[in-house]
Amino acid sequence: MGLFDFLKGPSPEDLARRAEHNARIADIQRCLQSGDVPASIKTRLEGARNGTLPWLATLTPAELSIVRSHGLRPIATVSATCWLHYGWSWTQGHAQGWELALRRLRDEAWAAGANAVLDVKMRTIPLGGENSMDFTLIGTAVSVEGLPPSNDPIVATVPALEFVKLLEADVVPTGIAIGAHYEWLADYSRSARMTWRGNIESQTLSELWEVVRQRAHQNLRSHARTQGNGVLAHLNFSQMFESEQNKVPQYLARHIVVATTVDAKRGTTLPHHIKIMVDIHAGSTPLTGTKRHHQSYTSNEAEGAI
Amino acid sequence: MATVIPAHAAERLKGLRSSAHSTGVFTSDFSVNEFLLVRKAGFEPIGLCVGTCVYHVGIQYGSWSKNQELDVLSKAMYHARELAMSRMRAEATAMQADGIVGVKLTIKRLEWDAQLLEFIAIGTGVVHGDGHKGFRAHDGGPFTSDLSGQDFWSLLHSGYRPVEMVMGSCVYHVAHRGMLSGLGTIGRNVELENFTSAMYEAREIAIERMQYEAANAKAEGVVGVEIHEGSHGWQTHVIEFFAIGTAVLPLEQEIAPEKIEDPIMVLSVND
Repeated sequence: MGLFDFLKGPSPEDLARRAEHNARIADIQRCLQSGDVPASIKTRLEGARNGTLPWLATLTPAELSIVRSHGLRPIATVSATCWLHYGWSWTQGHAQGWELALRRLRDEAWAAGANAVLDVKMRTIPLGGENSMDFTLIGTAVSVEGLPPSNDPIVATVPALEFVKLLEADVVPTGIAIGAHYEWLADYSRSARMTWRGNIESQTLSELWEVVRQRAHQNLRSHARTQGNGVLAHLNFSQMFESEQNKVPQYLARHIVVATTVDAKRGTTLPHHIKIMVDIHAGSTPLTGTKRHHQSYTSNEAEGAI
Repeated sequence: MATVIPAHAAERLKGLRSSAHSTGVFTSDFSVNEFLLVRKAGFEPIGLCVGTCVYHVGIQYGSWSKNQELDVLSKAMYHARELAMSRMRAEATAMQADGIVGVKLTIKRLEWDAQLLEFIAIGTGVVHGDGHKGFRAHDGGPFTSDLSGQDFWSLLHSGYRPVEMVMGSCVYHVAHRGMLSGLGTIGRNVELENFTSAMYEAREIAIERMQYEAANAKAEGVVGVEIHEGSHGWQTHVIEFFAIGTAVLPLEQEIAPEKIEDPIMVLSVND
């Protein structure tokens, strides 16, 4: 690009590209509102589905080999985004954002003719938008040989190896459940200001936390019920803030739990024998579980594989 | 009973130098497991292949309130990586490698100039032990792959061979929100559809470009797809979506006559 290029008018190539961009953005926005999969993505997914385009998989070769030996076929990388502005509630916004992204991911998987999406990662792109956050899910849509495409594809936050492990044990990871709750507490009696009181529980704040956490977990349970009969691998995120309004201390406590939902028949155990062996994988072994499957929450609490 | 040490290893342990690599030494960045598995897969490492490219990335500003691809930057990021990769591949061709495994592609910023980026591609050139040429890429040159030695072995044992590292880049300017548009959203949680659609378009462009490369390499599919989001010192709201993966083809019968066994599942009892 030369220094004085801006003096020239746009080339026909530029104009064509702009027109393509405008059409694509218009289509994406229309589809976001109507709940459809945007046309350009649909074309790519259908191409991968019927083999006219190469399939795309986030799987490693080892995972590819294990899913193939279990009759699964990768189709395409699917993804979904919801960028949400918290005008009303930050906490509830997290539930809304992930739920909407989850629905869109299922729609893409459906368009790809998939039975499941594996290796779903939760991502947040740090663009520093004030009071807003990006909720992105990326995974690999797969079909199961001998099964017709599902009209309600399952979404598994576990990587392919763990997915197959679970399948062998007759457990199906089905989706992501979110429980979020927050509460404000106005401490008129100032009982949580305990400067001179030695060793003593702050009952006010304990109770606040108790309520907030319990409600978040109740929400998790009811959201999970729509997708399976249990959850695994929690991610916990919580924060408490203090502020003062008209000389009254105010406390905000918020708690978010995210978990992988599963459908597991009670009483079924793993059919395998246990055998001792040496692992040839470099670095930390992938057998002991999964890497962090999200980068959306920096949490100081222990977390599972989600 | 103790396992018998192979004769060649025993001789070396006794202090005798090997004559196996009389033409010279091989170089690689393999770990022990990688080395053993690449050889188990029937390949021998011959040398590290490097390609670098220092690139002056031009300037392009997005309009403040507009979602748009910054094609000058997209082209720069793609072209520079392509140059580094093709130089690495030329080195591999010169040493008559059949392929390059474990390619690492990195970008560094040079301190004194924000617009200078250094792109490095480095990997280990390998040859097939029996001189089989069937593993080469569709153009007869060495295949490229960012898969580690372990992954390479696993890929061959899942019935595929690597063809080419494929990638797609899209540098995108995400529109800023106007002052007024913020007012309407007070008190409500609303989706910012222009942000969402920017993410959709940028990601889609990157994926499509990668898939197009894979189709050009006559691949059946792409494994190990990763989508990176990065900002290489650009203004805020400018973000690069970079899709990368290894394009693969099914092994033909004559390349891998052995029957591929089903893998054994392992559950670790370690924490």
